[in-house]
Amino acid sequence: MKYMLLIYDNAGTRELFSGPGGEALSEEIGALMAELTASGELAGGEALADPAQTRSIRPRGGAPVVTDGPLAEAKELFGGYLIVDCESIERATEIALRWPNARFAAMEVRPIMNAGGGQDI
Amino acid sequence: MTTPETPDIEGLLRQLGPQVLGALARRHGQFEACEDATQEALLAAAQRWPKQGIPDHPRGWLIAVATRRLIDEVRADSSRRAREDVTGEPGERYEPAPGEPQPPQHDDTLTLLFLCCHPALTPASQIALTLRAVGGLTTAEIASAFLVPETTMAQRISRAKQTIKADGMQFELPPPDQRAERLRAVCHVLYLIFTEGHTTTAGPNLQRVELAAEAIRLARMLHRLLPADGETTGLLALMLLTHARRCARAGPGTALIPLADQDRSLWQRQEIEQGLGLLEHALTTAAIGPYQIQAAIAAVHCEAPSAEQTDWPQIVALYTLLERIAPNPVFALNRVAAVAMANGPEAGLAALSMIENDERLAGHHRVEAVRAHMLELAGDRTGAAVAYRAAARLTTNLPERCYLEARAAGM
Repeated sequence: MKYMLLIYDNAGTRELFSGPGGEALSEEIGALMAELTASGELAGGEALADPAQTRSIRPRGGAPVVTDGPLAEAKELFGGYLIVDCESIERATEIALRWPNARFAAMEVRPIMNAGGGQDI
Repeated sequence: MTTPETPDIEGLLRQLGPQVLGALARRHGQFEACEDATQEALLAAAQRWPKQGIPDHPRGWLIAVATRRLIDEVRADSSRRAREDVTGEPGERYEPAPGEPQPPQHDDTLTLLFLCCHPALTPASQIALTLRAVGGLTTAEIASAFLVPETTMAQRISRAKQTIKADGMQFELPPPDQRAERLRAVCHVLYLIFTEGHTTTAGPNLQRVELAAEAIRLARMLHRLLPADGETTGLLALMLLTHARRCARAGPGTALIPLADQDRSLWQRQEIEQGLGLLEHALTTAAIGPYQIQAAIAAVHCEAPSAEQTDWPQIVALYTLLERIAPNPVFALNRVAAVAMANGPEAGLAALSMIENDERLAGHHRVEAVRAHMLELAGDRTGAAVAYRAAARLTTNLPERCYLEARAAGM
């Protein structure tokens, strides 16, 4: 089963990685990535650039309208994701709990829909 | 030499691949190096045979070429000990001179399957290694079949090989007292490959290797090697009887058509006949087991002209037997669905209340889907809509979700 681990930022979490403890955090991530690569569970992932560079698109009167910057009401902003292909949601959650960002801001583990497969119903 | 227009070189290579790898691994150990050498020999054959024709002894040719590659590899590694292992066995000894009789057909495919499905490997690694080493698929093909990046799949295969090396696993048949259990592991891996590839649509993913068909090919191979094993036969029968219904399962787009609504004239009679024949043979000659019972259930469906005319009491009896010999909450849930068809929705709902609190079923969308169907049969459309929606939210399968949503909307 594939799961997406959604990593959120709040005010200040991005700076943690450039601050005094940033190198240790990056090393921690590097080690975890290496472990997931070696186990054959890592199936993808990206980090997003600063939210200031966001373009938001919202519907206004039935038509999409573009604005600069993230959606104003959001307190925690989506910052990046991992995709793991592993045995169970318990295992995916265990990985999320070890991801350093989980100590500072929200993360979510969500199953990814599959298009084929399935049994007779 | 056979003439160049000889058909299906690829099929021949995929059949001989595991035998060549088996022969090398049995002789030299060093599974990883043998696997690389075999791949290179298969590649060389794929390039040469279409132009030059298939050699008189294709298996011997492949073993000779692979052995030479293995020796080259070992020399390049300049590993003294490994060199002693293989240099005394020049590859040429495998290649019979023209007119010489073919070397004995010692088929190591079974040993190879046991190694690839070794219980020390994770299920993901067992599947990947089996498809690569026994199925002869490329890493890219396996990766695309499982919709993961090629690097991820390559890593699973290499990790599996490292585990084999680190654990010092020998290329030999498991001891007799472990063989039955190890064979169950092999069957389970083939079954997992089958269910992964049990796709509802054949169209949009033409690049995707058909995993269900590959699982059937491997199960046939296993059945040929162990024709007297009832569960191996049962597994092959189960696959054929399920696969036979594939064309009726997919509607337009991603729509999923449930068993009850399928156009049964689309079921593949030839596969059904073959499955029924295999099943009958297993049931009358071997000890009963879970795959045979599941195949027997599939057979009851395949023999019924419609959902209404299905022998539901027989299906209930088979699920009851299955649960007894292989306790599993999903089998219990399937029994409940059959009880509703045999004895009415109230009986089914009562049976569901007995098992729905099993924690192994917690969050399983099938619980709500079965409940929804029974409520619908009982005439409780509001309750059915609620349960269909709950099931739709819980499934991670897109066609299934679309089906459940549509069902909820139709209440």
